[in-house]
Amino acid sequence: MDCRQTQHLLHGYLDGELDLVRSLEIEEHLRGCADCQQVQKSQQALRQAFRAGSLAFRAPAGLEARIRSAVRGAAEPPRVSVRLPHWAWTGIAACVALAAGLACGVFYSRSTESGREPLGQQALASHLRFVLAGRPPDVPSSDQHKVKPWFQDKVPFSPFVKDLAAQGFLLVGGNLDYLDNQRVAALIYRRREHIISLFIWPADSAADTPPVEQERQGYNLISWTRSGMNLWAVSNVNPNDLREFASLVNAGG
Amino acid sequence: MGVLDSRQLARFEEFVLPHLDAAYNLARWLTRKDHDAEDVVQEAYLRAVRFFDTFHGADGRVWLLAIVRNACYDWLKQNRKQWLATSFDEELHSAPQSALDPANLALVQEDRELLRQALDELPTEYREILVLRELEGLSYKEIGQVAGLPLGTVMSRLARGRDRLEQRLKASDGGRFETGSTNKEP
Repeated sequence: MDCRQTQHLLHGYLDGELDLVRSLEIEEHLRGCADCQQVQKSQQALRQAFRAGSLAFRAPAGLEARIRSAVRGAAEPPRVSVRLPHWAWTGIAACVALAAGLACGVFYSRSTESGREPLGQQALASHLRFVLAGRPPDVPSSDQHKVKPWFQDKVPFSPFVKDLAAQGFLLVGGNLDYLDNQRVAALIYRRREHIISLFIWPADSAADTPPVEQERQGYNLISWTRSGMNLWAVSNVNPNDLREFASLVNAGG
Repeated sequence: MGVLDSRQLARFEEFVLPHLDAAYNLARWLTRKDHDAEDVVQEAYLRAVRFFDTFHGADGRVWLLAIVRNACYDWLKQNRKQWLATSFDEELHSAPQSALDPANLALVQEDRELLRQALDELPTEYREILVLRELEGLSYKEIGQVAGLPLGTVMSRLARGRDRLEQRLKASDGGRFETGSTNKEP
């Protein structure tokens, strides 16, 4: 593979989008080519800059409520309709008719779930409560040596807190939370604009279990057991990033 | 005609509503103004309700972002036509690879504003791809689905967009970003 081909495919390589054979070819070329190494370094630095830059915009407060009510048709329709094309107005009218039905649906599902919610749902709800509140963590710190001791007199175990900043997962703090009828440690990490909650608490059995992935309401969850601890990672980052996060948490000591 | 029953509405709220931040981020980068982005996102959500019967997969984010992108382009065509006028040719514009000097990259990392500005100045076609990749972390395939582009085009726009970004970073603060290349032998 020559320099032109290598540099052409370098983006796919760095983005993890190339197949193994191509990746190996590129790595082989890079080993012997200072020019391409230079291009690779600058590309990696640009990615790093993006990762550190947090350039994503977040929806302003109130927009979700406006959209939710527009979608449900609960907003005063005449005011909304002024700025909308006719088809949207028809859609809203249709939604208005449904609002009552929806309310019934909500109550119905609440009453049938009066028993215990699945753990995944509990973990997601805890994660969302924190994210939506927009408040800083109980112990806001990127220093693992501050976060870990904070839990000392709050939970009857010592959660392992890892610094994963070099891998693009910034520790932003920790929360005391409540899951599975007990106190749990919730470590908060950030990947680009996405918040990741990592819940940790003692498992019933000492046996390790492999990671299990699930998707709920557009969020990804991975759960596993290691060294007698239950771990649940919850976030809206893409599944690959969350998988990477889980394996980093699991790696080493 | 986009009439959702209560089960569909619940599904909509489960799969589509949670991606509001991603929707707003894309719209904000494409329209460049807070209130324009809000209008476009709201419009996009109403389209999403209308077209919800075309949603089959589990990934509400990609599905929603495709609708947001369309709404953005409709808005741009009506209100900012000049932003879309930049024509470019995938094959002709094979600019030479420019390399930032890694020694200066610490500065780039610190200078968030410079990066933000450089990204903001990119033509829409490149900006959207970079936003989807670097800020939303979408795969090439997902970007292709959102932007309606074949994978090869996603890849080449991404490469070219990053090249332009580097060039702009150098140009926008010559003193800082050129120091590395002056050391280079021609």
